[in-house]
Amino acid sequence: MGFVWHVALRYFRSTRADAHIRVLASLTAGGLAVGTAALVLALAALSGFQNHLLEDLVRHTPTLQVEPGGRSGSANGAAGSAAPPVGRVDLVDRVTATEGVAAVQELLYARGWLVDRTGALAVEVVGYEQAPPAWIPVGDAAAPGLILPLSVALRMGLTAGGSARVVSPRAGLTPVGPRPRMRTLPVAAIYDSERAEYEELPVLLPLEQADALFAGGDRRLDLTLAPGADPEEVAADLRSAIAPAEGTVTTWRQANRALLFVLRLEKGLVFSAVALIVAVAAFALLAALSLVLSSKRSEIGVLAAMGAPPVRLQRLFLALGALLSVGGAGFGGAAGAGAAAFLDRFRVISLPSDVYIVDYVPFLVRGRDVLVVFLSTVIFTGAASLLSARRASRLDPVEAMRSART
Amino acid sequence: MIFVAGVSKAYRDGEVRREVLRGVDLEVGRGETAAIVGPSGSGKSTLLNVLGALDTPDAGTVRVDGVELSASRPAALAGFRNRSLGFVFQFHQLLPDFTALENVIMPGRIAGRSAASLQAHGLALLGQVGLEGRAADFPQQLSGGERQRVAICRALMLEPPVLLADEPTGNLDAASGAQVLDLLNGLQRRRGTTMVLVTHNPEVAGRCGRVLRLEGGRLTPERARNRERR
Repeated sequence: MGFVWHVALRYFRSTRADAHIRVLASLTAGGLAVGTAALVLALAALSGFQNHLLEDLVRHTPTLQVEPGGRSGSANGAAGSAAPPVGRVDLVDRVTATEGVAAVQELLYARGWLVDRTGALAVEVVGYEQAPPAWIPVGDAAAPGLILPLSVALRMGLTAGGSARVVSPRAGLTPVGPRPRMRTLPVAAIYDSERAEYEELPVLLPLEQADALFAGGDRRLDLTLAPGADPEEVAADLRSAIAPAEGTVTTWRQANRALLFVLRLEKGLVFSAVALIVAVAAFALLAALSLVLSSKRSEIGVLAAMGAPPVRLQRLFLALGALLSVGGAGFGGAAGAGAAAFLDRFRVISLPSDVYIVDYVPFLVRGRDVLVVFLSTVIFTGAASLLSARRASRLDPVEAMRSART
Repeated sequence: MIFVAGVSKAYRDGEVRREVLRGVDLEVGRGETAAIVGPSGSGKSTLLNVLGALDTPDAGTVRVDGVELSASRPAALAGFRNRSLGFVFQFHQLLPDFTALENVIMPGRIAGRSAASLQAHGLALLGQVGLEGRAADFPQQLSGGERQRVAICRALMLEPPVLLADEPTGNLDAASGAQVLDLLNGLQRRRGTTMVLVTHNPEVAGRCGRVLRLEGGRLTPERARNRERR
């Protein structure tokens, strides 16, 4: 053991002898324990909630999507024709051929109306290719036809097996002049989703029907990636394969950028608020170290007179600060992580399931969060230690030794 | 070994500027012992602190063991103090959290050596001053004379070429003081260490090769000797 740790450990042991220093050292350790435990728990609770939210988001959002742009997109679609235009076929082929892409589903987005005898209801319409997209929870029972959200079905009095008339705002030319395009389609299925709380749920219909009604709608390619494929890498490959005028590649993270930002902001704000406990503990550490410096002033002077350079005296107090804080911070971190694991495992805190997306408070201890807590504790306690350490290194040895006699 | 030329040092005491050293010149050769005497507040300790690189003069040149102190940076001065100087203070200045042996080997620890490599030499030094059985005792368990003997061992631990002692017997009774002086003189002679000792005790000063009086900020020879007393 070197000089610095040898002396620091001995001074650490001597802190128990002085009642004032012992109280401040206990306050430091206790404050750091409470602070780190609270930080770990708060971040674990947020991570648990956010994890549930993100899992739900990932379930309902394609990992990657390509929005055809310019001439290759909807503008290239032949009006009223169900056959996809040549440019779009080429784009789909190139996307499908990209490494890491397992499947491509073409979707058409438009707005229209569902009409019955009593009136019309404006709805978002999604035309799907082959099977309904994975983010619509209808299972395998859906036969070709309309798939309606439960809220729309209830408002229109529709049930599976019935039929509904879909009207497009795009007019078609008839011998008697322009008339709205409309089709009566069977209701194949009705679905419900927890996402109804924060999003208008769409009416789905097969792509060829949607093409015939809403040929000018916005198109999108939803990509399913091969297992293990990295969305960012596949997105980069796609961007190099597709010119910006041909289409825009968006990852699920980009598509949900605003939400992810809010989640990060929320975590940052909670962290900042709870970290104040650690900051207060760091003040206790500063007071404890100041008291140690005051009581060991003449000894520091003697060490300097014997040739201990200022930088090593500084390190001595940094080491003492670390010794005074490591126990509390370590215990707090471990206790916080243990409590989070227990609360999550046994679902101790319940929530009303009709209000929240989960019926208990989930906790998820992430290594990254623990590292952030550890680093912030090191920064706070390091800053407190550094203030005392700098004062120790600047002590005038003659004055310091004289203080022992006065 | 020690060369001081034109050293001045003043302190500000409120509005009053007190000139403690006024153009002090001093030369002490290798293996020589010099005592600096003078009334209280005459600047003896200040001169010793200047020689020990613990204080900086306002003017003048101080060269100790070939090192120009005024031209050295703080870190270099710390290294110099560790390697080349041994200090014995009036109030032993032992570290209360460390045993007698740990206090003795502390300069070696500061120099970066391991405790194991220093212990044998530290115990031998304690043996030379009759404290081999007190190595594990803490300073508060030792008498005043024993503490000062431990402090002398500490000062000699790294066998520095220069020993600076500030009233080494000033806090001891007559018997302990004489014992410490015998010890200091004996060790100094055996090792050929250059020693500068500050005292206002004429008996202590009389045991040094040369006596210099510091008064009014000036250093004057009170008694010069050609030969060290054996």
